[in-house]
Amino acid sequence: MKTAAVWTVGAILAVLAGQAEAQDVGREGALRLSFEPLEFHPPEPTEHVLSNGVHVFHLEDRTLPLMTVSARFRGGPSKFPRAYFAAAAALPSLLRSGGTTALPPDSLDALMELYAISTSFGGGGEASFASVNTLTRHLDVALDLLGDMLKRPRFDSALVEVWRGQRLEGVRRNNDNPGSLSFSAFNRLMYGDHPIGWEMNASDLEPEDLSRDRLEWVHQRVICPDNLILGVTGDVPWEDMLPRVERLVAGLPSCADPLPRTPIPTIRQEPGVFLIPRTLDQSTVVMAHVADVRREDDPAYYASRIGNSILGSGGLSSRLMERVRSEKGYAYSASSLWTTPVTHDGLVGAITQTKSGTTVAAIRLILSTMDEMTVSPPSSEEVSRSVDQIVNGFVFNFESPAQIVSRRITLRMERLPDDWLERYLAGIQDVSPDDIRQVFSRHVDPDQMIILVVGDPEALDEPLENLGPVTVLRIPGRGTTLSDTTLSPRGGRRSLR
Amino acid sequence: MRLIPRHLGWLLVGSLFACGTQVAGQAPRGDQLPVHEVTLGNGMRFLVLPQDGAPTVAFVTQYSVGGANEHLGTTGIAHFLEHLLFKGTTSVGTRDHAAEVDWFRRMDQVHDSLLTAHASGEADSATIADMESRIDALEDSARALVVPNEFDEILSRNGAQGLNAVTTNESTIYYVELPANRAELWFVLEADRMENPVFREFYAERDVVMEERLSRVDTSPGGLLYEAHLASAFRAHPYGVPVVGWPSDVRNQTRQEVEDYYRRYYGPRNAVVAIVGDVDPDQVERWARRYFTTVPPGETPPPVLIEEPEQHGERRVEVRFDAEPAVRIGWHTVNEFHPDAPALTMLSALLTGGRTSRLYSRLVLEDRLATYVASSLGPGDLYPALFSVEAYPRSPHTTAELEDAVYAEVARLVDDPPVDIELQRIRNQFEAGTVRRLETNFGLALQLANSASLFGDWHTTFGLEERMAAVTAEDVQRVARTYLRKENRTVATLVKTPTQTNPR
Repeated sequence: MKTAAVWTVGAILAVLAGQAEAQDVGREGALRLSFEPLEFHPPEPTEHVLSNGVHVFHLEDRTLPLMTVSARFRGGPSKFPRAYFAAAAALPSLLRSGGTTALPPDSLDALMELYAISTSFGGGGEASFASVNTLTRHLDVALDLLGDMLKRPRFDSALVEVWRGQRLEGVRRNNDNPGSLSFSAFNRLMYGDHPIGWEMNASDLEPEDLSRDRLEWVHQRVICPDNLILGVTGDVPWEDMLPRVERLVAGLPSCADPLPRTPIPTIRQEPGVFLIPRTLDQSTVVMAHVADVRREDDPAYYASRIGNSILGSGGLSSRLMERVRSEKGYAYSASSLWTTPVTHDGLVGAITQTKSGTTVAAIRLILSTMDEMTVSPPSSEEVSRSVDQIVNGFVFNFESPAQIVSRRITLRMERLPDDWLERYLAGIQDVSPDDIRQVFSRHVDPDQMIILVVGDPEALDEPLENLGPVTVLRIPGRGTTLSDTTLSPRGGRRSLR
Repeated sequence: MRLIPRHLGWLLVGSLFACGTQVAGQAPRGDQLPVHEVTLGNGMRFLVLPQDGAPTVAFVTQYSVGGANEHLGTTGIAHFLEHLLFKGTTSVGTRDHAAEVDWFRRMDQVHDSLLTAHASGEADSATIADMESRIDALEDSARALVVPNEFDEILSRNGAQGLNAVTTNESTIYYVELPANRAELWFVLEADRMENPVFREFYAERDVVMEERLSRVDTSPGGLLYEAHLASAFRAHPYGVPVVGWPSDVRNQTRQEVEDYYRRYYGPRNAVVAIVGDVDPDQVERWARRYFTTVPPGETPPPVLIEEPEQHGERRVEVRFDAEPAVRIGWHTVNEFHPDAPALTMLSALLTGGRTSRLYSRLVLEDRLATYVASSLGPGDLYPALFSVEAYPRSPHTTAELEDAVYAEVARLVDDPPVDIELQRIRNQFEAGTVRRLETNFGLALQLANSASLFGDWHTTFGLEERMAAVTAEDVQRVARTYLRKENRTVATLVKTPTQTNPR
């Protein structure tokens, strides 16, 4: 009581002192505000070329006594024949865990952990990476260990066996969650035998798939100067870093072969409805079809970005979230996807999870929401919101030196221009509502969607067949595999309107 | 290039010991950060930390109320409120708030009748379905007055990043980052949201929460195992209740109950805001006073006095699901303020922190029984927590073999105490952590708000390393002996049970 009385007096005094009144806050308050333009000159990394031709991006940051050195390599599991799939997938992890010719695995681990050096080794698709983050006073130890791991791996057989067993277990566990199950099944469905569609199977993980010969073969083709770009951030200036990074890459043998060109994928074209039956109370839905919009400096590309944001990648205010989640309460999340690879076609589609009893209703709602985008332009309000979000939030692309350097490396790896982000910023501001309608009407057709449902067919709100002929897929690893299933002879047209 | 042969490696280790205290001397110390503290007359606390770097600002608002403050029958209310606070206010998200209220009353009446019908047990399913569709229809009608997700939209337009919230056992945390020139917008929107929220689209959002529960728990083997483990380990204390709530509680909550709960506990007196980034503390203080001074203070939740009674024998629980096996072993321990807490944290790092840790090196690397092992203290900080070890067996090994191996390693601690190098490794990692935790505005804001909210002082979180440095090998042995006893443990196992599906 006493505190409440004191507060009331305080509040009255506050009002008398001219503090916030109702119209100062909320919508009116927000409209009343005007903002000074943001003055900001983002730091630019410097680019250097080492004596063996390796490029390095360096950005000094004196804020904390921390250093990050990252090595990014072109070349990953989808760059080589299937026989090398496991070896290429294992490579980064085994560089870190498999010891070096000088250090057995347990000594390497002990040193890393005693010096509190954190490492990140990994890869996927067409790239691999290895990075260390360390207190600056241990930088030389960290770089010695990184160089040793990259150049002189031991591929200790016991650790290879640990990795193999973990991956086998990962394959077994992939089906445990409807999310991971649906993504890998959908990937297989869309890309078939192309490397993009490869999902690790037990048959990829026989001991000979991880023989020393295969690991070394992949190592000689990935961990080499032609494939490498380095990134360095932290509180050490370039003149002090130069001899260190020279030493890091010194003696790195040239690539045994240039990386092969990845074949252009053949992506499934026929629409269809696919079901993986699982007795669960909630269905997972993934749908997509091919879309040939590339990541390039082109109006259609920018229109696809803003359009995708309006449709369902732009968070709570996007159409799919507004309708599927906020209005209908069908799902915690419903989002669209529109991938735009640089070198080949991408996919446009959507993802959601919804209880069995609203599954078909949610799919119909997603399809009709997509369809509207192909027919009518979005409101200029929607376009300006998506553009403003990117323009006003642009500064978040420069929050950390590591992020700035990492992006520059990514652009270089994908052979995009260094000023890509600035072009993007300009390009999206020229998108008009009708550009979006055009890009959707040209590239998106809800009738052509390939729809995968993981869920309980007996519990759905209406038969899945109402969306078109259904092909049942067996869960990989349980009976027949996906490639054994027979597709329905013709794709069904769905009536949406 | 110079290699580190094995012996040289150990030499370097030796030199590391000699200068083991050097880090603290070189690196900035978290507890000396220039945090500007402001407390308003209504009890609201602001912690402001200017940081160099890009012109952005992170805002974290933490309320000291979460799952542990709830009671059976209304579980999940804090989490539901976390969702509802994105639905707008009397001015944001609506075309005509006064008109909306009338619709709310009508649909709430139907919902009250529905609850009564449920309680009587007499209503048939058709009647229930009819009532549910009437609620949906009324909410659809009210939607004509809604400006959907306007709160999100205003912030997004202004370039906001990461707008979201999270509910834990003892806190609810709302956060967003803004470009620095738009910082005032946060005050304008948050002061309004704190004082004037409107829980519109209430029933649709309740369905969204149910869908979230289905995703995170009911179709997730890990989520199911976690929920069952805590529910078995805690029979009295609310740590045993899922933060998302039991499904029937979520279904039965009424708008009135939720509003009453909000009015009591989500006021300035129970809130801490941390603001970190490119800001002027004086300007922030002026905005804080201008926009938040008139918000009614609210109350702090009553202390959670319930204590988990001592456990008198091992408890075991199974979850049957169509998924590969897993096991969680949990022992009752102490809260974060207890003198034994640092030694338990050390024990956790000793057992599973990194590749050289005792359980990881034995179970994963040497014996290859497991593909994953981790340990933690949880699910909260304020009340006596569970020390849990979670592991996945590597086929064909079983969860029973993993259990035996874990118990054997714990028993070995008695004969084979932690050696200096093990403890030094852990201390070094914590020392490096003192620097890494200062890296991002958002990370710092989370730590400041959490420390001030739970422990009453933002400095407390940065004392962790000092507390860890004082832990001895004997302390670690003692806490293992004291707490990791058979009669004090609860074991949850996920048992693979393929379901029959009969595709048409």
